[in-house]
Amino acid sequence: MNKRNGLSRALKSTGIAICYAIIGLIFLSYGLSYGEAWAEAKPEAKQGFMEWGEKYCPEKPVSGGYLRVASPYYIGSMNPNHFPVMDWVTMSYMYEKLIILDGNYKPTIPWLAESWQFIDETTVLMKLRKGVLFHDGSSFSAKSLKYQMEWIMDEENYAWTRSWLEPLQAVELVDEYTVRWRFKRPWGSFLGTLASVPGFMISSQALEKDAAQKKSERITHELIPLRRKAKAEQDLVKAAQLHKEIEGLEEQQKKYQALAQDGKPLDTSPVGTGPYMLEAASTDNYLTLKRNPDWWFGKSIGKPEMPYFDGIRVSIIPDPSVRLANLKAGEIDSIVLNPIQYRQVKDDSKLTVSTFPVNFLVYMIFNHAKGPCSDIRVRKAISHAIDREALVMGTQQGLGRIASCMYPDDHWAHNPELKPVSYDPELSKKLLAEAGFANGLTLKGFVINTPEAQAFTKAQMAMLEKVGITWKPMFLSITGMIEPFKKLDFDLLGSMYPFIQEPDHIATLLYDPKSPFNNGRSSNSKAIELIKSGREITREESRRKTYFELEKTLCDNYEDVWLFWPTAVLASSKNLTGLNLEMYKSYGEGYHFSHPQWFKDGRP
Amino acid sequence: MKSYLLKRLLYSLLTLWLVSLFIFAIARILPGDPVQGVLMASHMGIADNNLIEGLRAKFGIDQPLPIQYLVWVKNFIIGDFGVSIASGEKVFEMFMKRLPVTLELFMGSAIWSMLIGFSCGIISAVRRNSFLDHLLTVGAVLGLSIPVFWEGIVLIYLLSVMTHILPPSGYVPFTESITGNLLAMAMPTFIMGTQGAGLIARYVRSSLLSVLGQDFIRTAYAKGLSERQVLIRHALKPAMIPVTTVAGLTFGYVTAGSFIVEYMFAIPGLGRMGVNAIFANDFPVIQATLFIVAINILAVNFLVDVLYGYLDPRVKVRS
Repeated sequence: MNKRNGLSRALKSTGIAICYAIIGLIFLSYGLSYGEAWAEAKPEAKQGFMEWGEKYCPEKPVSGGYLRVASPYYIGSMNPNHFPVMDWVTMSYMYEKLIILDGNYKPTIPWLAESWQFIDETTVLMKLRKGVLFHDGSSFSAKSLKYQMEWIMDEENYAWTRSWLEPLQAVELVDEYTVRWRFKRPWGSFLGTLASVPGFMISSQALEKDAAQKKSERITHELIPLRRKAKAEQDLVKAAQLHKEIEGLEEQQKKYQALAQDGKPLDTSPVGTGPYMLEAASTDNYLTLKRNPDWWFGKSIGKPEMPYFDGIRVSIIPDPSVRLANLKAGEIDSIVLNPIQYRQVKDDSKLTVSTFPVNFLVYMIFNHAKGPCSDIRVRKAISHAIDREALVMGTQQGLGRIASCMYPDDHWAHNPELKPVSYDPELSKKLLAEAGFANGLTLKGFVINTPEAQAFTKAQMAMLEKVGITWKPMFLSITGMIEPFKKLDFDLLGSMYPFIQEPDHIATLLYDPKSPFNNGRSSNSKAIELIKSGREITREESRRKTYFELEKTLCDNYEDVWLFWPTAVLASSKNLTGLNLEMYKSYGEGYHFSHPQWFKDGRP
Repeated sequence: MKSYLLKRLLYSLLTLWLVSLFIFAIARILPGDPVQGVLMASHMGIADNNLIEGLRAKFGIDQPLPIQYLVWVKNFIIGDFGVSIASGEKVFEMFMKRLPVTLELFMGSAIWSMLIGFSCGIISAVRRNSFLDHLLTVGAVLGLSIPVFWEGIVLIYLLSVMTHILPPSGYVPFTESITGNLLAMAMPTFIMGTQGAGLIARYVRSSLLSVLGQDFIRTAYAKGLSERQVLIRHALKPAMIPVTTVAGLTFGYVTAGSFIVEYMFAIPGLGRMGVNAIFANDFPVIQATLFIVAINILAVNFLVDVLYGYLDPRVKVRS
């Protein structure tokens, strides 16, 4: 998944909503544990961010105009459950989640889900918001939610988020707007999962047709070798069996084709409930989204004029310098810049420039299964050889927080007692000598082939060279990486993990031996146990302690080299208003989804 | 003349065959199995053998390499460029969608090249060793040697960020807005054009200078013709002979430059499609793009040869 560049809009959608004081109030009112405190949630009464007066913005919102933003790419993959997820910039305007996160990444803010109640540790009753329409006119209801969850869980659909729903046993319909969730075992990350990718609600009507179309296409591919085999088969019995199999598949295909009729691929025609919906797309050029006149949120709070823009135009501009030039020339209204571009905009009187921490992690992955990095002394030597402060200063203009482990420092699951690994080249040399590499060590690996990653990797290579480690990474495309990943043909990799939200997700994806994203084949038995516990424990304090312990366990074993959590640079035209940065920082997603921006002059 | 053309045609076909082999090999050398790429995107890398086999058959990579090559060439001749691994679209359709954009870019850059190259070359030759000649020579060398991306950034800064004269990037179809289209294409075509213009200017100058030193030019002056008449009626045509070759070669530079210019200026043309395909390991698109570029360059060179025969009768005589 590429990273900073392409995720301007999605960056905004991370974090925010209820402050600790409100959580405290909830605790008091229920006098119960974290899990039980989730039991009822009604935003209107309790959310501090539900503020539209002077505190939010002294100006009166004005409707009109198309907001112009930019994205480095558009790959036509706009079902968030399809891999790779790279079209967030556009998707984040069109889809909405069941639950959204507060400023500390806790899943506490009801959005499309109106409220929920834990009946017991394995049963949750959830009420859904009424009157929400998908962009295709169909209603958001218990049925559509059930269909989507079953679609994700169906292994035939190959949703990359399927493993996150593993603890789910069933979604039962109670009435049109109420569902009962049943779990196989206690599921601590349940709400966090619904506040993440699986919680983005998609029209079941569109999803059903899309799934049928994809299954039909797959059968077309499967039939090719079967027909060949049947044609070449000499044995009449076997040939007859093959023909029967072919006929069966053809029958299935006809059924899917009938289901898929008049459907459009979701990847290029997304259907969500969000404030904007797809209007037009021109390959490699732009996408335009138009205002959703039926957006439920504005109406629900007596502000039917929300969202304020007539639409959004997303220009596809691959080069970061050209994106910045477009902003400076007034051709686009808002973008997230590379930190390296910060100096070029910070004193620009025509722009509003803000910096804020983002929940990404830049890190390096060891090959734990084979090679020199399976030795903790080598891992430790590499970790101490990297001068993280210099890296942040040199490659990020000092914008970034040095990481002590995987969860960002403002995340509720981060262990504040952990300190970043110190820069100690002498210790590195000593450790290498102890490990039998006194005369130096050569490591192979690979890094994604973007200019930013290349610049960054070169700095790391120079640091490693100082202690006698020659790291020779190849710069590969995502497709080019698949084979060396599979064959474990590397020692050390450069990587990035975006959107750290539910702590179980990153932990499972990176450190569970069964995860397809555990590229380093990490297999730390204590960490695995802690991940399992964290997924199952429902009480907040116990969960927090588990993740503190998990981070400590990973750090003690030098599982990876955690480098830094980046800082985003948001630059916008002065004509764009309605973003209260302090509220944004405090309330995260809660603020972002509920407070759309507008143009001061309402640009016609 | 016929045998000359036939010979050139045979050379072109031979070159095309060698290029096709080279392109086929390059597309296969790229790291990564394209089918695994598809499976990773659509099936999280999980698939049974039937599906893997089916996909290999779909992309024609289930056959031995020589057969794959022959099938690719045969399909290419009948206009079947295969299917894109990344998008699943037919490559021919992708190509046809983007062709008008790239053609416009080429035509625009050719106009700039000719306009700047010829006028600067002629002025330089006529005002030989003057300050203007030196200035234009420096300009031509700069045009030749400045990298496209650097020139692009500088012009974007000057014409878009500072003065707001032109949009910094993007493409507006001609059918949508004529003004919008011309404004959007002005800078990219100019940048591509200046690369060729520098070369053309240098060749026009030296070629014209050598022609202007010939006896028939002196005779023309002796007949009382003005400098302008001598230049237009007598000097330009013979001076154009070597320039024609250079103009043809320039097409190759321009084609290569279009990959960078389209990427930089966010123009949805063939060059951008090629760059995206390289990043995505989309070998049917890579093969088709490179092969079409090669065909274009060879076709232009062949046309230059034909034109050469027309402009220089000695070629006909020799052949």
